[in-house]
Amino acid sequence: MSDERRANGNGQHSAAVRTRDLWKVFEHDGIRVEAVRDVTMTIEPGEFVVLAGPSGSGKTTLLNVIGGLTRPSDGCVWIDGIDITGLSERELARLRLERLGFVFQAYNLLPVLTALENAEFTLLLRDVPPDERRRKVEKLFEQIGMAGLEDRRPGKLSGGQQQRVAVARAVVGEPALVLADEPTANLDTATSSALIDLMAELNRDLGTTFVFATHDTRLMDRARRVVRLVDGAIVDDDRRD
Amino acid sequence: MSTRRRIRLRLALRNLRRHKRRSVLSGSAMVLAMALLVFSRTIAEGGHEDWIDAGVRMGGGHVSVEAPEYRTRRTLEHRLSPEARAAVQDALTSPDVALRLVASAPRLTVQGLASSSAAALPVAIVGVDPEAEPAFSALSDKLEDGRWLEPDDRLSAYVGTRLARRLKLKEGSRFVLTAQDAAGEISGQMVRVAGTFRSGLPEVDEGFVQIPLETAQEWLGTPGAVTSEALLLRNSRDVGPVRRELRSALSGWSDEATVLGWREAMPELDAAVRMDDWADYIFHLVLFVIAATAIVNTILMSVMYRTREFGVLRALGLERGEVGRVVFIEGMVLTALSGLVGMALGAAVVWGFFRNGLDFSAMWDMEMEAAGIVIDPVIVPRFHWNQIFQSLFFILAIGSLSSIYPAWRATRIDVAEAMKFEE
Repeated sequence: MSDERRANGNGQHSAAVRTRDLWKVFEHDGIRVEAVRDVTMTIEPGEFVVLAGPSGSGKTTLLNVIGGLTRPSDGCVWIDGIDITGLSERELARLRLERLGFVFQAYNLLPVLTALENAEFTLLLRDVPPDERRRKVEKLFEQIGMAGLEDRRPGKLSGGQQQRVAVARAVVGEPALVLADEPTANLDTATSSALIDLMAELNRDLGTTFVFATHDTRLMDRARRVVRLVDGAIVDDDRRD
Repeated sequence: MSTRRRIRLRLALRNLRRHKRRSVLSGSAMVLAMALLVFSRTIAEGGHEDWIDAGVRMGGGHVSVEAPEYRTRRTLEHRLSPEARAAVQDALTSPDVALRLVASAPRLTVQGLASSSAAALPVAIVGVDPEAEPAFSALSDKLEDGRWLEPDDRLSAYVGTRLARRLKLKEGSRFVLTAQDAAGEISGQMVRVAGTFRSGLPEVDEGFVQIPLETAQEWLGTPGAVTSEALLLRNSRDVGPVRRELRSALSGWSDEATVLGWREAMPELDAAVRMDDWADYIFHLVLFVIAATAIVNTILMSVMYRTREFGVLRALGLERGEVGRVVFIEGMVLTALSGLVGMALGAAVVWGFFRNGLDFSAMWDMEMEAAGIVIDPVIVPRFHWNQIFQSLFFILAIGSLSSIYPAWRATRIDVAEAMKFEE
């Protein structure tokens, strides 16, 4: 990543995420939908932030733009000080691999890999030596209560277990930021609570920045900051520190 | 192999194993196509080789050495002198030629007339070496009546049955051959029927007379000379190297001797074999389309079904091209494995059931003739190393062509949209 890209609009380098005048507009059959409207925000490293709002408020789209999964129509996004709006596809892929972790609503583990292989997938892509890889994943599996299930394929794991593996996959590479889209939506109450505890613990212990898009009030209750979106625009930014 | 390559390979192989039934079903189309390809190639190779063999034995051999303009003029003026023949004999001893040479036959051929008290008919009169010719020509095996020429024969003739019937000749009958000799004079030679043959080809059985070479040379005033040295090789694939070697060895005799392959000497046979080849190619194209369609269908279905999975791979840091390569590898591996199984199956079927030949005589009640050659109804499949390379090329072509499009589709997946995809 070139150094000139490693500076945000204010010359600051510390923010995990910074957006400025961010817009995402979709056009289908002549109908214009403003999914993200003029969003300017900063998320500091180590924050545990929830993007909240009703369905269609633009939470997932904002998460996708921050994660470099979709390009903004206008405005800028900095991740860990890097302006990602001008990055090529290849540079974006590298940024996602090295600095971002993703947790999805539907777990999205790779069905042909075991739990352990799923968790270590990003480390494999980063060419981390096998010993270090195994050590990190096994330690993490102990921490998330998945020890002994390393060789199971996703199809042989419960929803809660799959989502734990997905969280392990997201944090194992020690990314600057984990983006989680409705991570508890498919889980029962007890499993959701356990998963939220796990992510809060990882946030505390590893200092990983978490940004969630969710409706889940339990997750909002645990967040130290809740950013509310309505029709793609921020209407409230509630810090609870 | 780099880690990323290993990951792509692992994902591709495991995805194939994940849907075993689908992989096996689409692979079976490829297995069948390759088995049929091997079967048809070995039969075609065997059929062509038999066909060419019959043709060159009846004609001028796999390779013919003759005077440069003999092929167009067909006169004794254009003949190989005794000195040129000696140079040819010398060239035949070269290891590259001797290794491939089965038999050689000197021939002195003129167009003439065969006359008896009953009729006079135009014929090709061929002076042959009674000792060398049986190893070469199939005609000595087609004896109907009497006997084949013997080394000490002087005035004997071996004639076709139809000619014998039209001239009202039988074994021991005398008739007269008339032709233009080396001096340009019309000259006659009385001969006696030693035997008759039936080749199955009307134009040969009615228009062909063989007499001893020495008799022909003496009668036509060309002592020691011939119009061609016909060479029979192990198979038609030996023509190229032998022709090259002889052309090089006889470069000092280019005014008197030229070297022709059977394709140049027998253009009708060449055209017939090429047409048959094209029919094979069309059959192979049909196999190609069937196999490729099955593979494309499977891989494309797999890509559609796994849209979300590809989105996840991209989100996790795989590049567009890498996702495409995973799909491409899947297609190539599926094609290669099923193709190799098909090759083995085809070879096993050919070897197990048809190694002694595939008998078509029940389908052909009469003698089958093509390009002036009687075709043996029993076709013995032939294997050639070249077929392995052809088959591997076929596999590679199907694999790459049928995987490119699905791989390209996989690279076009929008990551954010893919996450909404319901499996």
